[in-house]
Amino acid sequence: MLFRLAAALLWAGLCLGVVYQATAQSTCTLPLAGRVTDHESGEGLAGATVVLLPGQDATQTDPEGHFHFHVCAGTYRVQVHFLGYQPEEAELRVTAAAVRNFALHPETIRLQGAVVRGTHVEAPTPQASGSLSGQALQSTRGQALGEALQKLAGVTAIQTGPSIFKPMIHGLHSNRVAIMNNGVRQEGQQWGQEHGPEIDPFVASELTVVKGAAGVRYGSDAVGGVVLVQPRPLRDTAGTGAELNLVGMSNNGLGAASATVEGNLRRLPALSWRVQGSLKQAGNTRTPDYWLDNTAFRERNFSAALGWRRERYGVEAFYSRFSSRLGILSAAVVGNQADLQAAIDRGRPVGNGSFSYEINRPYQQLRHDLAKLTSFWKTGNGGRLTATVAHQQDFRDEFDVVRGSSAAGSRNLPQLSYLNYTSTADVVWEHPHWGNFSGSVGLSGTYQRNRYAPGSRQFIPFYTNQVGGAFLIERWQQQRLLLEAGLRLDRRDLQTRRLTRTVQDDTLRYGVEQQQFRYWTPAASLGAVYDASTHLSLRADAGLVRRAPAANERLAQGVHNAIYEEGYDVSRPAGAAPLGPETSYNLGLTATLHDNPRLNGELTLYQNYIDGYIYQVVAGSYQTIQGVFPLWRTQQTDAVFRGLDALLTYAPAPGWLLSGRAAVVRARNRRLNDYLVFVPADRFEATARRQWSTGPAARLQRPFAQLSLTAVRRQDRTAGAEYDLQAAPAGYQLLGAEVGTTIRLGNVPLELSLAGSNLLNTRYREYLNRFRYYAQDQGRNLTLRLRAPLEFGRRAGSR
Amino acid sequence: MKKTSFRPFLAALLLATPLLATSCKNDDDNPTPDDENELITTVRYTLTPAGGGTPLTVEYKDLDGAGGNAPTIGNLTLTANTTYTGALTFLDESKNPAGDITAEVNAENDEHLIVYVPTPANLVTVTRTDRDRNNLEVGLATRLVTTTAANGTLKITLRHQPGTKTGQPEPGSTDAEVTFPVTVR
Repeated sequence: MLFRLAAALLWAGLCLGVVYQATAQSTCTLPLAGRVTDHESGEGLAGATVVLLPGQDATQTDPEGHFHFHVCAGTYRVQVHFLGYQPEEAELRVTAAAVRNFALHPETIRLQGAVVRGTHVEAPTPQASGSLSGQALQSTRGQALGEALQKLAGVTAIQTGPSIFKPMIHGLHSNRVAIMNNGVRQEGQQWGQEHGPEIDPFVASELTVVKGAAGVRYGSDAVGGVVLVQPRPLRDTAGTGAELNLVGMSNNGLGAASATVEGNLRRLPALSWRVQGSLKQAGNTRTPDYWLDNTAFRERNFSAALGWRRERYGVEAFYSRFSSRLGILSAAVVGNQADLQAAIDRGRPVGNGSFSYEINRPYQQLRHDLAKLTSFWKTGNGGRLTATVAHQQDFRDEFDVVRGSSAAGSRNLPQLSYLNYTSTADVVWEHPHWGNFSGSVGLSGTYQRNRYAPGSRQFIPFYTNQVGGAFLIERWQQQRLLLEAGLRLDRRDLQTRRLTRTVQDDTLRYGVEQQQFRYWTPAASLGAVYDASTHLSLRADAGLVRRAPAANERLAQGVHNAIYEEGYDVSRPAGAAPLGPETSYNLGLTATLHDNPRLNGELTLYQNYIDGYIYQVVAGSYQTIQGVFPLWRTQQTDAVFRGLDALLTYAPAPGWLLSGRAAVVRARNRRLNDYLVFVPADRFEATARRQWSTGPAARLQRPFAQLSLTAVRRQDRTAGAEYDLQAAPAGYQLLGAEVGTTIRLGNVPLELSLAGSNLLNTRYREYLNRFRYYAQDQGRNLTLRLRAPLEFGRRAGSR
Repeated sequence: MKKTSFRPFLAALLLATPLLATSCKNDDDNPTPDDENELITTVRYTLTPAGGGTPLTVEYKDLDGAGGNAPTIGNLTLTANTTYTGALTFLDESKNPAGDITAEVNAENDEHLIVYVPTPANLVTVTRTDRDRNNLEVGLATRLVTTTAANGTLKITLRHQPGTKTGQPEPGSTDAEVTFPVTVR
């Protein structure tokens, strides 16, 4: 048993790249801390007994489930007991500050042959980051990915109506935010502000956001940050389990259901599997004064995974499909600039609308498929090699309002139809530890083709993008200090084929313009983590990232949503250099107060200088047969983004938690000495939460109630009036509340919660909502959520 | 214990996989002439004097659509104190044969309204003479009356109002909007 325990621990440690070195230190102030949680709900368990052996040092966990010791370097056994739960024990070799979390299994669900393992020992990163898991993630179920991520300080979203949310980190978005879907970089039409990520959040058990440039590890265009969508690892205890999620919303009649079934074979313990599917359907959204016609949407997604894992190697295959149809607010249908101005002057839809699940033109029809094969080998002496190959395809069709008898109308063709195929391969080798050094080297390659379907309009040209890169990240750790340095170099080759139109002798002639753009894009980073005390850690990171322009920034051309957009290289003067890469110099400082019984918090300060910042400027207007359009042309400038994220939590009494969050971003156009457009307004949130502890026999387990107030200031730092059709809307305050509990039905702990947002039915318009010109934001909404984890495996008692 | 070691060969093979997987696809395909399926390239207004005579035609034409070459815009020269019968035509001349958009508009004339706005307002008087199945005006057929000699412009707007047509220009979106210089003499 001890051997298995040690093996499991070692495995977990290696998995996460954390090393507990055997060389003993003679200090007796090393912090050993952790959190004891319920394995099913992920909630902290208050009052659990934690015993340290040898020595019989013991403590009890605080209301959030945290515990901590100060120990000498050495090897310890940690035992955790809590009434109603199976005790757990782990062996730890402590040489530096160590974190060890325990997830206890309720006594009533007796798992057979349960293996104690390290659950999520986060390797500290020098960068600020935040994540949603457990109950925090549960309270976002049913929402779009970008909407859910707004729970994290510093993360907002560019919104297009009530259903499309594009994640924004520290004021940067789209091409500048990388989204890693289960370890694979999501590729599609991520440039578009109205293109939400094609990801089903029900796949994830954890959503993490790395705030700030992370170009070395995730590719050189992660200038703003990275979103990590991470599923739970495949089951490794014998048996079959399932999870059912149901969500219902009052405002738009949303109904969502997601089911996961997973198993591990008793006779073939190396083999694990999982299948998951979700359905979502919503009708028109309601604002305090009217319905938003044609904002219904629906989604159908599934994923499947199959893994084979032995001690020294493992292989996992994963496939997922996301498909969605999203209605676009009919009040936002405008032909030209005059229409747009009329819609803005009206400021609201014509008529009061009505509720319907029907989706008419205009709408978006999306499909994203991802197939992935990943494997690991443990190489000699603790090194580890991971290889991943993936292929994804992204289909995005946009259906505009057309004449029913036209070719497009009678055959129901989309007006824009993008096809994107991306293959990626990554190899990472975590080398064995050399003294205080640990680290990894990696190679990655991307091959991407982008097309538009015959019969649709060219907005983005045909292109082929090839990227090859190598990176190295080294860490040096001694006692309380960790230093990290990283280097990366990518070669990017973008080839484009753009259809051109010219008129000769009163006849339209087509041509093809070919261009090739090649760049070396380096990235470098330097970071440090210092545990100033048991409860205070300080982090700093500095980085350089260079991002090559994407195809849309070079060569987009056409009318889209009453705006005529033109990439820089479409009309660059003859002989002029093409659009060049932008270079980001960024700095982040984070102080974290943690594992205190009462007061905890985190403060992040950041600054991101971007030279050659690529953005769109209003360059006059454009006359077409459809009328006059504003002309937005891609240009470069120098910009700076700076700001802070703050989080503070205070537990005034057992069971009570008060928390506050603030996020402030300032963005300047340094060349024009002006502000930048579409930067989030200052945002504050305060929450009071009461959690009641209950005995294991209680029918209602761990009920909670919380009240929250969100305040968003008016954005009064806006760019010149020509950049925005309308002045920024007023600030607003929204009241929210949530109550929930776990009901034990036989062996099933049924989690139930009811949440309300915009409870006072406040009329408001969010600055970052691109449809704020046409209509108000969502009114009052009540959401009922139910989660049921089921266990089909044989009970321990039946053996 | 058996020892596995780093295998560069394996890594290289894995790295090459996407290239191998996609190399069989045709990478050199050129974009085909895009079928901009809702394109209107030409707005033509034909005016026939009510008392007989040679019809006048004025045309706004932009063959290559948004971007590229500037449109060609005709001038409308009318005789004072005259009544004309007007017929409006929409074409997609980027295709061969040209797409007949007028027929599409007429097929859904209960979703379309054509708005004529002279500047100055008393330059000419345009009256829509055709009606849809709901007895609302359409504007493909018109009567244009001139009075005194003057100069100005005539703006013609094709409004698409699926499900919302009331006979008024709003709501809806604009499918075409052209402005002709007009001389009445």
